[in-house]
Amino acid sequence: MAKIALRVSNHQAFVWNIQDLEAVRAKHRICGLLIGTLPHLAQQNVFLGVPLTLMPEEAVLLVEKGFAVFIDELKAYYAPTPQELVNWASIRGEEAKRDVERREELKEDAAMSWKLSDAAIQKRKEREAKRAVAKAAAAEGGEDDALFTPTRNIAPPLESNEDSAESPTFAVTIPTESSDLSWYSPDSHTYETISAAKEAGIWSYPSNLHERAKCGVFRDLWEKGYYLGGGMRFGGDYLVYPGDPLRYHSHFVASVLDSPTSSLLPVEIVAHGRLGTGTKKSHLLCGWNDDTREVSYHSIEWSGFG
Amino acid sequence: MDESLELPSLTPKIPQPTDSTEGADEQSSGEEDGGPDWTKIPSGSSKFSVRPVIPKRGEKDFEPSEGSALQQHMLGQMRSAMFDALNVPRTASNKSISYAIWIPHLRRAHVTVARGTLFNGMGHSVPRPLSPGEDDSLGEEKLHKRLELLPEETLYLIERGSMFCWMEGDVPTNIGPAWEDVAGFPISVQQAYAEMIGKDDLTLEKYQIYAYLKRLGYVVTRARPPTPFYPTPAPYIPKRSMFNWLLRFWGKIFTGIYALFSRKRNWWRPLHLGGWWDKHTNYASIFSSLRFLPAGHSRPLMPHKSTQLGTTGDTTTITSPYTIFYNLYKPSTPFRKTAPPPPDFSLVVVGARKTPMPSLLELTSLFDLLPEEPLPPPRQRHPTQSKPLPVPPVPAPTTSSVQTSTLTLGFSRLSRWIYPNWFRNGDAKVQPAVRKINPFQALKFGKKNIVIAVVDAGTTNFYRFGEGAFEEWPMV
Repeated sequence: MAKIALRVSNHQAFVWNIQDLEAVRAKHRICGLLIGTLPHLAQQNVFLGVPLTLMPEEAVLLVEKGFAVFIDELKAYYAPTPQELVNWASIRGEEAKRDVERREELKEDAAMSWKLSDAAIQKRKEREAKRAVAKAAAAEGGEDDALFTPTRNIAPPLESNEDSAESPTFAVTIPTESSDLSWYSPDSHTYETISAAKEAGIWSYPSNLHERAKCGVFRDLWEKGYYLGGGMRFGGDYLVYPGDPLRYHSHFVASVLDSPTSSLLPVEIVAHGRLGTGTKKSHLLCGWNDDTREVSYHSIEWSGFG
Repeated sequence: MDESLELPSLTPKIPQPTDSTEGADEQSSGEEDGGPDWTKIPSGSSKFSVRPVIPKRGEKDFEPSEGSALQQHMLGQMRSAMFDALNVPRTASNKSISYAIWIPHLRRAHVTVARGTLFNGMGHSVPRPLSPGEDDSLGEEKLHKRLELLPEETLYLIERGSMFCWMEGDVPTNIGPAWEDVAGFPISVQQAYAEMIGKDDLTLEKYQIYAYLKRLGYVVTRARPPTPFYPTPAPYIPKRSMFNWLLRFWGKIFTGIYALFSRKRNWWRPLHLGGWWDKHTNYASIFSSLRFLPAGHSRPLMPHKSTQLGTTGDTTTITSPYTIFYNLYKPSTPFRKTAPPPPDFSLVVVGARKTPMPSLLELTSLFDLLPEEPLPPPRQRHPTQSKPLPVPPVPAPTTSSVQTSTLTLGFSRLSRWIYPNWFRNGDAKVQPAVRKINPFQALKFGKKNIVIAVVDAGTTNFYRFGEGAFEEWPMV
């Protein structure tokens, strides 16, 4: 089974392949975030499309567990040979030709069915009747009548001056993924481990204690079977979901502390408790112990006495 | 893709500005209440027949229960709907698609075929040597104006399925069908993400914000021109010019003279009631007489030397991540690419993981670059307040002079300073109308506004910081 390809550029991991996306979500319980524009719903922000960006913690987990590999995106492309380009263009040309033919057929079909339909017949009759009336009016010859029959001077309807007669219409496809392009060869720029990717200079996370703590907490909660999402909108580091966020609400907002003995302001407890109660979640304080590589959890909730 | 359905919204069709802001609010606050329901969006197969509608968010369950087949089924259905939607190819008719060549060393895309109204708010023309290879042999460089796109503009158009982009390169002559505009190696959306982000100050965060706003129909331009050919609105001149220095200088002299003729400030009797020049006719003047701590944003901040940002003389601070990156125009604002008007909003983009909260100094230096905005028109919440008084907002005492040139502004300020009482009398006449504005609304809105977009690993949030002028709205 091929590993999931995390395409890395600017120290950021993306998932482009749909099968990879499915595996990341359904098999490995990693959600990421879709950030691309959906081509058929391009003017809204509720539903977004590929690429899927991963939080650095998510990417680190996938690679450390051996589910995925890093690919250095920028180096994976080489300049295609003329032959490759000609091949690509000929495939594309055939696609376009097929599309032109398909459209012609569709147009003919549509035209035929329109001509034979009742509505068309009725419209034709109406048009003829109108023309007859107009002719009669013109024959009567009043100058004023010209005001009421200006139809002949109006430019012909738009459909008649189509320029499609000279050049055919076809669909141009913009390639989304690179894996179909023959000059994309990620194999020689693949890194199986975090340290290898760090050495190659394409990845830098985790680089300090706080980032290690975040990776540790993320991994621990993930191993307990939770789905995790970004918690910025709820004043924490992660949102902790009992199931796929597509269907379930999160129960906890987790924030990461660099050490189990790090100090905490009372104001923070109040703020976390307040916000958590307001959003029907409890706040989870996750203290990372860098020596034993263990996490201790404390949750804050409004007690509700009195 | 049907272009008529997908008209970019310079004409505010689907994304009404009010709707869009509401949508953003909803997304930021209500993310949890209902996630996007992928089963409700039109799938790729029906896109030609169904007009794309913006679907609503769906309901969620509290938690998965053991062995619930219904929940499993719902989840499966939702996932497959999502992946179906993600699988829709990017196609456009050859009659409506645009073409461009990405030139890596210029970090720009040269548009060879520009179609559609999206270009009304994108791209700028740059004079370049006619043919890059042969300009030396001609001796004199022949310049030729052409349409070029910034990295974010290029990437957005490709991703949206509106433009086919080529990478600059040698192309064999016998390539492809003649009716396509072939000019290099084709770029996939995937390659474009790797190639164009990270160029010309464009980070992933900045691109995400750009694309988010473009999808809502805003016109987004760079605030700091990356090249001299990039048109930007005339910069707002901060009031730190020579004139202001003079103003301050003369002001000091005049206050000195004023102090000579007036009695010394008596801390126990700050009001000086009874003098011939003291005419305390309203509360505002009494309050300002009682004020002994300087107030207002016109006073310098006097930062400590060690915390000072950048260089003191310059208006820009290079070191701070809080610099204005994008100018934003509502879809309803008439926008001309060659002469952009002053922006509706100024936008700072920061990454949540590395940037701390803005300091007072950073915010102040941002506000120094921004013009004062007129107050928003008062809300028509209570139509029962039927008074025949003119409804249009009467600006606050100082905002009335903002619209006039800086010279007169400076002069009025100067004279106000020297003859405060005289001016107060003048203000007193305007006073009744001023009360029409709700001071809380004015305070909330502030005189200057900056929008800060924060991105954390893909999650975007917008925050508005306003500089409230408390000294202008005493609670009387």
